[in-house]
Amino acid sequence: MSRKLWLSTVLVVIGLFSVLAGGASAKSSHAGATGGTLTVDLLSDVDYTDPALDYLSTGWEIEYATCLKLMNYPDANGAKGAQLVPEAAAGFPKVSNNGKTYDFTVNAGFTKFSDGSPVTAANFKAAIDRDADPKMQSPAVAFFSDIVGSSKSPVSGVKVKGNHLIINLTQNAPDFVARMAMPFFCAVPTNLPHDPNGVLAPPSAGPYYISEHTPNKSITVKRNPNYKGKRPHNLTQINYVIGNSQAATYLRAQQGATDYAAGGIPSASYAEAASKYGVNKAQFWVKPQLGVRYLAFNHDRPEFKGAKGALLAKAVNYAIDRKAILAQGGYLGGKRTDQILPPGMAGFRDANLYPLKGADPTTAKKYAAQSGVASGTGIEYYTSSTAASAAVGQIVQYDLKQIGLNVNIHQFARAVQIDKEGTRGEPFDITSEGWIADYADPFDFINVLLDGGNLHASNNNNVAYFNDPAYNKQMNSAALLSGAPRYKAYSNLDVAMMHDNPPWAATSNFNDRILLSSKVGCFTFNATYSVDLAAICLK
Amino acid sequence: MLRYLIRRLLWAVLLFVAVTIVTYIIFYAIPADPARLACGQRATPECIKRAAHYLGTDRPLYFQYYKFFGRLMPFSFRGGPHLKEPRLGRSFTNRQSVNSVVAHAAPVTASLVFGGAVFWMLIALPVGILSALRPRSLLDRIAMVFVLVGISAHPVWIGLLFAYFFGFKAGLFPITGYSDFFAHSGDTSAGPVQWAYHLVLPWATFAILFAALYVRMIRANVMETLNEDYVRTARAKGAPEWLVMRSHVLRNALLPVVTMLGMDIGIALGGAIFTESVYGLPGLGKTAITAIDSFDLPTTQGVVVFATLVIIVFNLIIDLLYAVIDPRIRLS
Repeated sequence: MSRKLWLSTVLVVIGLFSVLAGGASAKSSHAGATGGTLTVDLLSDVDYTDPALDYLSTGWEIEYATCLKLMNYPDANGAKGAQLVPEAAAGFPKVSNNGKTYDFTVNAGFTKFSDGSPVTAANFKAAIDRDADPKMQSPAVAFFSDIVGSSKSPVSGVKVKGNHLIINLTQNAPDFVARMAMPFFCAVPTNLPHDPNGVLAPPSAGPYYISEHTPNKSITVKRNPNYKGKRPHNLTQINYVIGNSQAATYLRAQQGATDYAAGGIPSASYAEAASKYGVNKAQFWVKPQLGVRYLAFNHDRPEFKGAKGALLAKAVNYAIDRKAILAQGGYLGGKRTDQILPPGMAGFRDANLYPLKGADPTTAKKYAAQSGVASGTGIEYYTSSTAASAAVGQIVQYDLKQIGLNVNIHQFARAVQIDKEGTRGEPFDITSEGWIADYADPFDFINVLLDGGNLHASNNNNVAYFNDPAYNKQMNSAALLSGAPRYKAYSNLDVAMMHDNPPWAATSNFNDRILLSSKVGCFTFNATYSVDLAAICLK
Repeated sequence: MLRYLIRRLLWAVLLFVAVTIVTYIIFYAIPADPARLACGQRATPECIKRAAHYLGTDRPLYFQYYKFFGRLMPFSFRGGPHLKEPRLGRSFTNRQSVNSVVAHAAPVTASLVFGGAVFWMLIALPVGILSALRPRSLLDRIAMVFVLVGISAHPVWIGLLFAYFFGFKAGLFPITGYSDFFAHSGDTSAGPVQWAYHLVLPWATFAILFAALYVRMIRANVMETLNEDYVRTARAKGAPEWLVMRSHVLRNALLPVVTMLGMDIGIALGGAIFTESVYGLPGLGKTAITAIDSFDLPTTQGVVVFATLVIIVFNLIIDLLYAVIDPRIRLS
């Protein structure tokens, strides 16, 4: 008995030791020390490092680490990282009864700008005034045109009273708080020049600041010595090396010469990287983005017009092989979908509307027959000139041939495709498109891409030319709601439109495929801004 | 000689105007709106209108070209005749001064091209001459294999192989990147040694194609010259072989090589696109590719202007040298 007890004690001790050792090793693979320099490879330069002008995801990734915003997304993975929280604001803004006035209390004593100047409500007004200055030609104008007096700088609808920033809108806009979390509106020094060419290294009040930017060569990001806030700021410095090809970046990441392949690696190498490092373990991460790829049906064309057009749109949704289409984007390039809103977006509800595992030609043929489309009808298909787009075009061509449609593929340089499909009257039936969220709100998908009230002669985002008065009304109503009713309304719209009168065939949601070096210890991914540079640490 | 020089200069100006007009027309014919691109994915009609006005793309093509040409001229008559700095405008995509973009990219391309030229001549001269002196020998046949491989293999493929084997596997050289020749004080990542260290693989890649072509040309020229009467006469007079080679064979055989070298360097300075792309060198070729991809007319035009000027200047120098060497050209 005593021998058994002794043996058990030894086993328990060994077991405990193993658990502790295992725990320690798991911790060491995900944690790291403070300090060190992270090297990042970028394929090509960011457009700007000036928050008023920058409108590319790589630049926003940097600004997520450098910017101080009124509201921000927390440094957390998954759904938690998509919930807006106050940053420089003391709390959520007070909204007037008519929903037109937002009162933010600014409380940013925990930080100063990298040049040592304090942060006040005036710095947020300065950002909006700078964006609004016609001289700046800021792409931010689309996101604050509902502020009173937004066409002139200073903007008359933005007032500073003590530590209050009071913003008056022309109409109720419940997504306004989400828009204010965009880098366009982060605090800037009140004396930051309104330079239309952009300031290369503007002072910032977030955990980091851009200390140097040599266009097409390098960007140096350093820890803001004046930041004492709650956001992580582990690294001492981040060095961006600009211009390395994806093939070279892949080799450099394996060699440890770069720590983060921000410009990606060759499409064909993702499978190898996954088998070498495993997925979502330490070095190779695959994370969903708030974006959708889709085939838009041109509702101005006879084939997709009216009730019969809706039946043909359903037929196409059944006919296409989403699995084969997604495979053209490379290994783990995305997740198949049949809905407008991406998973992870508030309001998304998985409705299982169309086949995701492959085509369903039988049901497709049934709907095609009901639509009355003649066999052999020509479908003009627009896409870009990349090899993957051509392959997707051929898959769609084959799939629609099964329901009697002859797809004629037209390939254009991407910028030309955008121009052509955005022009009303352009003779296409289907165009292949994609959309990444500007900010985490369903308005940015449903209203921006499908509200028929916003159609113009050219430069349309609604390339389906979808203009259903009933849905337009529902979209406008949903845009005025807030909280749970808002998301429920958008959820219903998403499912109803895709089920009853599909404006598109959504094919997949984007994945961000991230390769890190073995030196990286901690990693956090934010669905809106991608890699959280402030939270990265080295082993 | 003066008339010849003036004629050549006038042709050069005409060529320059023609090239820039063609570039403008090509961009104008492409139905992509830079103003729309400038406003991003949520472009509104107001933003696009403002951007088009800012970029000047809302004006007719001839007016845009007139403005471009006026900016480029080193003189102006506005407010009285005076000299001014020629300006290439600002990039559509990042609003950087194109003068500065070209000024930063040109030394990178020059480093690649001039270093590459030294590399390829160091290979081509001895191999070409030895092949000519020993035709159909083992060395000659090996040289021919090298020529075939050099001409057939694409620089991107060669570059990727070099980067993988010498950069990644052996770790002898950096896989990519460029280091400045002139280092700021305390900057150990730049300087002549780092500059050359980063360029060894690009030089080798860039040199292979040209070395192959030059080996073939030097071999043919030397073989042809060896059969000339004056070479036979020199030998018959008892001149030592090294003197025959130096004074009679090489001097005549290499004359066309020098001409071709000047022209090739001029063309390559316009942008060694493939080598720069593989090795991530921020030179003119890579700048042009990025600019074309994003429909950035001013930057594309800036590279075109620079490349055209370089080619014109190099051609002019060669023409003038030829005129000096061969009076028949001057007279014709």
